[in-house]
Amino acid sequence: MENETKIVDGFKFMPRSLRAFVGKTIPEAEFSGHIPWTPMKRPVREATVALLTSAGISMKTQAAFDMEREKKEPLWGDPSFRMIPRDARSGEINMNHLHVNTRFAKEDINVMLPIHRLAEFEAEGIIGRLAPSHYSIYGYQIDPTALMSETLPAIAEQMRTEGVDAALLTPT
Amino acid sequence: MLTMVPEFTREIGIPRVAAIEYPFGRPVGHVNDVEGQRAVLLAALDVLDTADRPGQVRHLPFTWTEDPKETDWQPPEPSPIIKMMFKKE
Repeated sequence: MENETKIVDGFKFMPRSLRAFVGKTIPEAEFSGHIPWTPMKRPVREATVALLTSAGISMKTQAAFDMEREKKEPLWGDPSFRMIPRDARSGEINMNHLHVNTRFAKEDINVMLPIHRLAEFEAEGIIGRLAPSHYSIYGYQIDPTALMSETLPAIAEQMRTEGVDAALLTPT
Repeated sequence: MLTMVPEFTREIGIPRVAAIEYPFGRPVGHVNDVEGQRAVLLAALDVLDTADRPGQVRHLPFTWTEDPKETDWQPPEPSPIIKMMFKKE
């Protein structure tokens, strides 16, 4: 914690061309719409926590996210999700993503989906409980219709079934 | 949400945001850096306990140890959309 007043620069790691392109897509005005808010029912040390990443992570025993169709249809991204059990090991997971380097998360799942760190937090009483299931979607959705109408409600329903109080989202 | 681009998330209305200046593909930290990953996650979870209204962004104070050019976060080959755009130009 070297600088308490740091302001994160989201463009820092982008090459100049990407920075210019992405910068143009972000409106100047602050968001003025409704932001959903669900108060925490209990403190984190008593809460059941689940993780959701957009990294395109699947278990090797599951079907992988579909990269082949995106290669043929560059405006399409796989809108499905995979459930990752809390005891998944890095060697048991696969990551498919055409927009980032996948080698880091394949080596250590915790850099994207930190299930082992959260299991440690559960054992130490920092969180109440780590949910049995965690989730990956694929973070390239030009048209998010299917993701919003089918995938995310299904994930939310599974979280409700498992008594999840809070979800930590880790975009790619 | 633990985001690397708060400029994006600001525009879509996320209830609780922790922003981190780490490269894409590694929001929680370096491979096998248990202590570093724990520190980031503790700071992110703290937002759950302390945020009191929607839309707040907590800028986390961590600094990535490598120069941006050395982070190797980009895919081995350009993504299909980038290839398509270059073809059009």
